[in-house]
Amino acid sequence: MFELLQQSLFSGLLVGSVYALVALGIALTFGAMKIINLAHGELVLLAAYMAYVIESRTGWNPYAAIPLAFAVTALVSIAIYLLIERIREHRELNSLILTFAIGVILTNAILLVFASDVRSTNSPLLQDAVSLGSVYAMNSELLAFVVSLLVMAGLWWWLRNSWYGRAVRAVSSNRDASMLMGIDPRRVELAAFIVAGILASVAGVALYTMSVVQPALGPALTVKAFVVTVLAGVGSIPGVFCAALLLGVTEAMTVTLASSALQELVGMVLFLLVLFFMPNGLFGARARRG
Amino acid sequence: MLEVRGLRAGYGRINVLWDVSLQFPTGELTAIVGPNGAGKTTLFRALMGLVPHQGEILLDGRPIRGRTWDLLEAGVVMVPEGRMVFKDMSVAENLALGAYPQRCRQARARNLERVYALFPRLKERHRQLAGSLSGGEAQMVAMGRGMMSEPRILLIDEPSLGLAPVIVKEVFGIIRRLKAEGVTIGLIEQNTHIALSVADRMHLMRSGKVLLSQDAGSVDLDRLHDLYLARESGQVQA
Repeated sequence: MFELLQQSLFSGLLVGSVYALVALGIALTFGAMKIINLAHGELVLLAAYMAYVIESRTGWNPYAAIPLAFAVTALVSIAIYLLIERIREHRELNSLILTFAIGVILTNAILLVFASDVRSTNSPLLQDAVSLGSVYAMNSELLAFVVSLLVMAGLWWWLRNSWYGRAVRAVSSNRDASMLMGIDPRRVELAAFIVAGILASVAGVALYTMSVVQPALGPALTVKAFVVTVLAGVGSIPGVFCAALLLGVTEAMTVTLASSALQELVGMVLFLLVLFFMPNGLFGARARRG
Repeated sequence: MLEVRGLRAGYGRINVLWDVSLQFPTGELTAIVGPNGAGKTTLFRALMGLVPHQGEILLDGRPIRGRTWDLLEAGVVMVPEGRMVFKDMSVAENLALGAYPQRCRQARARNLERVYALFPRLKERHRQLAGSLSGGEAQMVAMGRGMMSEPRILLIDEPSLGLAPVIVKEVFGIIRRLKAEGVTIGLIEQNTHIALSVADRMHLMRSGKVLLSQDAGSVDLDRLHDLYLARESGQVQA
């Protein structure tokens, strides 16, 4: 039993890193534009299907699909931004309806093109298990964890050191003041959507290599990202990372100790508990962006 | 020289400014005084393109497009009311953002040295979150951030708001110094006496109009106070 718990703790940590990437995409566009992109989960899913396309057509490693996945998610992300930008009244509320509808359209487009079968990688290399002391992991899980960490480190660097990254934080912090610095908020919002697209493309490809995907997965991913965001409180990257690992571990433990049917439910229970007892999130009071 | 002609601006259906025309002559400090709700802040916000407006804004005689970032590139910089520091960023990051306009990026390190020389306290606190600073320190961050934008024309809105007298003195010392360096300054200030002590020219605004424009040296204080407190109406040019 102890080995089993140890194993699920470890697997949960690995899958959690991908949840962090999904959540950071939503947090980034929310910070810059104060709108919630409900279609973000579908963006991730779209990237996962691009990995499937590349693997099934060429036999290459799914990670080779990242450029294609990025091109597709970036284009869709830009389109979502341009549509949101046209909303003049009650943008916060209307953008929810708009992005929800875009999510439905994307789900059905994926269903139409790729059918409802579940897809996952058939690369023996990625599916090989390696033993690390007393626990095991698939190569794909370890790779996803490392890639996620690298992407998060890159995002952290970008937000701190590049002019565009700083501008994203400035617009998130105080829009009027950011304009007085000479920042054009619309260009910054567009940049945030493109970077969210990059995060979604990596998360999608990683998800495809370590798990199974099917067309209806999008909303579940968006919900997980929400849970992570609420757990983390204020959107600091380390906070989101820890919260995502916590969600991953909780889900994995539930599957081990109870039943895989409860996996999605337990995330919501965690979500409610945190809202009840720590409405500012686990890291809300102290943690800050970046 | 920065000049506005027939400026009208407001929020939604409510008009705040009614055909305001005034000038900020090069190298001078132009003070704008007046009671709450006179439209002083709206004037600056309209000038910077943060509030929709009609009328002309001329920089050195040429009309400028009302986009905030174009103004910044042209060297028109505003230090807003209430400081508006980026609370969840460090002092150093706040100052770095002041150098966002393309023309200021190269000299960023040099300008930062200059700001730290003027405000040694900011250097001590450069890693501290701006949201945790005192009001006076936050005002220093806001002014330092403005200086990082290498202003030719600096619009400062209520720098003394909510500050202890000793800090106000310090802030106005810096304003004098900037003026001595040749920066054209527009200053909104509720405290008429302190405004007059640094100003070359003074405009009194009330109810969205300029009621009195005078050289700071020859201001009739009694008359100014009468107009300020709405005991008299009318427009006077001296």
